[in-house]
Amino acid sequence: MVSYFGNIYRALSTIAIGMGQTWKAMFRPAVTLQYPRERWELPVNARGILFMNADDCIGCNKCVRICPVDCIYLDAVKAAPDEDLGKASMGNPIRQHVIRFDIDMFKCCYCSDCTTVCPTECLYMTDEYENGVYSRDNGIYHFSKYSPEEAVALRLREKEEDERKAREKEAKLAAKQKAAEGKGKSAVGA
Amino acid sequence: MTPEQIHQKLQDKFGDAILEFGAEALDPFIKIEASHVLEICTFLKNDSGLSFTSLMCLSGMDYGEDANLGVIYNLHSMEKKHKITLTVELPRTEARVHSVESVWRTADWHEREAFDLFGIHFEGHPDLRRILCVEDWEGYPLRKDYVVQEFYHGMRVPYKEDWEDYETLAKNPERGHFVFQFESKVPDLVESMKNGKSAKNKSEDKSNG
Amino acid sequence: MFGNLFKKKRYIFEDESTMVVDLDQSAGRYYEETMSKLEIESYQGDEMVVNMGPQHPSTHGVLRLELVLDGEVVKKVTPHIGYLHRNFEKHAESISYNEVVPYCDRIDYLASMNQDLAYVLAVEKLIGLNELPEKVEYARVITCELNRIASHLVAVGTFGLDVGAFTPFLWAFRDREKILDLLEWLSGARMLYNYIWVGGLARDLPEGWLQKVREFLDYFEPKMVEFNKLLTTNHIFIERTAEIGVMTPEVAVSYGCTGPVLRGSGVKWDLRKDEPFSYYDKFDFDVPVGEGKFGPVGSVLDRYLVRIDEMAESVKIIRQALDGIEPFTAQDVQAAIPKRLRPAAGAEAYVRSETPRGELGFLIRSDGSDVPFRVKSRSPCFSNICMIDDISRGGMIADLVLIIGSLDIVLGCIDR
Repeated sequence: MVSYFGNIYRALSTIAIGMGQTWKAMFRPAVTLQYPRERWELPVNARGILFMNADDCIGCNKCVRICPVDCIYLDAVKAAPDEDLGKASMGNPIRQHVIRFDIDMFKCCYCSDCTTVCPTECLYMTDEYENGVYSRDNGIYHFSKYSPEEAVALRLREKEEDERKAREKEAKLAAKQKAAEGKGKSAVGA
Repeated sequence: MTPEQIHQKLQDKFGDAILEFGAEALDPFIKIEASHVLEICTFLKNDSGLSFTSLMCLSGMDYGEDANLGVIYNLHSMEKKHKITLTVELPRTEARVHSVESVWRTADWHEREAFDLFGIHFEGHPDLRRILCVEDWEGYPLRKDYVVQEFYHGMRVPYKEDWEDYETLAKNPERGHFVFQFESKVPDLVESMKNGKSAKNKSEDKSNG
Repeated sequence: MFGNLFKKKRYIFEDESTMVVDLDQSAGRYYEETMSKLEIESYQGDEMVVNMGPQHPSTHGVLRLELVLDGEVVKKVTPHIGYLHRNFEKHAESISYNEVVPYCDRIDYLASMNQDLAYVLAVEKLIGLNELPEKVEYARVITCELNRIASHLVAVGTFGLDVGAFTPFLWAFRDREKILDLLEWLSGARMLYNYIWVGGLARDLPEGWLQKVREFLDYFEPKMVEFNKLLTTNHIFIERTAEIGVMTPEVAVSYGCTGPVLRGSGVKWDLRKDEPFSYYDKFDFDVPVGEGKFGPVGSVLDRYLVRIDEMAESVKIIRQALDGIEPFTAQDVQAAIPKRLRPAAGAEAYVRSETPRGELGFLIRSDGSDVPFRVKSRSPCFSNICMIDDISRGGMIADLVLIIGSLDIVLGCIDR
């Protein structure tokens, strides 16, 4: 009997202690934020959606190589020999047309490795974190400054250039071979 | 006890079953014969001088596409505070080794994991099922010569982006940048541009025709 | 700090001794014995097989338990895991050593710093990098201990939730939020930091960060006293948890349990003390173990109390580290980062470190190239959940929920 009432006393007293704590908490300012209306401040280095400043990219491919999830797609075309693409804002000479720079933000793991290796600091993480979209296609961000048509044209130009070079090389090689053969023949003849 | 002393002790007791001792390795290891695993492990645990009470880690290992499989036991004694690594090499085609589940219960799930990912059979294990992959998965993923299965219950397994597919791309011409993955298709696209038609219209024409 | 809270309110079960399930024998392995001790003959009716999970709020993730029940008493538990399996180990074999670090974050997403540290220590051992700037080491200790507090706050908060107490959960998350803010300021991310790199840190400590940590500790200590008043010293809570899920030290050691689960069983084993890594040998702290103040040693409550006490110890360590880092604040945290990571061919190392959930080990083998040949992660939760069958047999199904809560599992850590 004693233990029965003892139990009741203990239960009530322990509830009273807990309730006392919660009662005190009622007079403290709230710690919650009404999210869509109120935002918290993000620190300077916050990692959000990636952004690439297309004017500064030199197409060095470092970000593609370091990305652990392979979410960056980069295609670059060599500039023509007589073309001057200027310099990036950090002074690095640009020698390539970056015809494709796409980031699949749904694959991105926000590790920020790509921003640390970028030599021109043109790739960085913004403080935007709300990237919910209705279609999976919209999670792929295009950063290249070339339109598809321009890009195709540049790519074809490079292809032609390459083919021309290859032809020249072949012709050179063939000529060399011919010369060598001629020499060999003459040697045999002698 | 230093690794040398442990090796000496095992050498005296088991003789030929001890194959190799790597004293210079980062973690000194003793390579033993696969058929003696259970005896040696029981001895290591129960001997009062050694008393390896805990198995830190049991890992499967594939030494290469043409090489052997292996099992690595990282042992540790909480009382004596010494460590040793046991390694076992198993032939690739017939990877069988006796289970040490009866010695250390830790080995239970670790052996199941090694079976799941490497296909090493642990004889005498009470419940040797796949643990991480589903039961009807084909192949052993962590082997170096593993090729992922094409379909699992009608679902395509190898990961592929839908936009890497040219057909999908053709329906969404605004994703034109992706075209460069498909070198052979480039002239096609250029042609359609010249004709003043987007790829989208073209595909629609096709479906209508 | 929190120890003396109990002294006044000590409460021992006296009259309900018949209900005490004395699970000496391998913690309730023998169902029949337990049933006889419970003085229940047997429930009328057949055995039931009930599927608990994978979508169940109290399995703390996608864990599926196949239960064999007799009435409400658990006869057998078969855990099925792998619902979150990503094969981290296969991934790691195709990316370079540095790129594995973001993947390590995701093994145990509640304590990413500790995961990073474990992996990084293993790689540093492989390449023989022993000397690091003091600032790096101290910063690693501070961040890891902060993360340990954050992780334990989730553990004790959700454990309260499992018992049915909702307020402690919110209070724990309120304090955890402060830690996440600190770590976000430091690394840029709230949970998956990618902050500890091989040979250094990703970024320098921001100006004024150390001061903020100090302020946080001053804020946190009174809050923990409050938390204890709210939940830890609550008699109803103690009575509910003190005698269930008892795990004997032998079982714990044999199953390879580590961390608070092992220490809750009364085994004084902490890698920070027994096998110091980083700078842990420079600090003065205690290793709390389960004492069985209110019931048998190794109960659910003991594991909970160990976590509570460990938070106080972490606070102690951080304070010492904050003092220790003072003379070295001018150092460059990236000075020792190796330009090229290429361990010698055939090198193999197993390195373990203490995470909030126990011993996390990485076995790494190199073949002399830029990518690891094999990475095996021995995750603590994997071994901790392994013995759930042993300790939950003979208990009620409602106790099983508490047992899972007290093991503090993270499914990302189990399935990898």
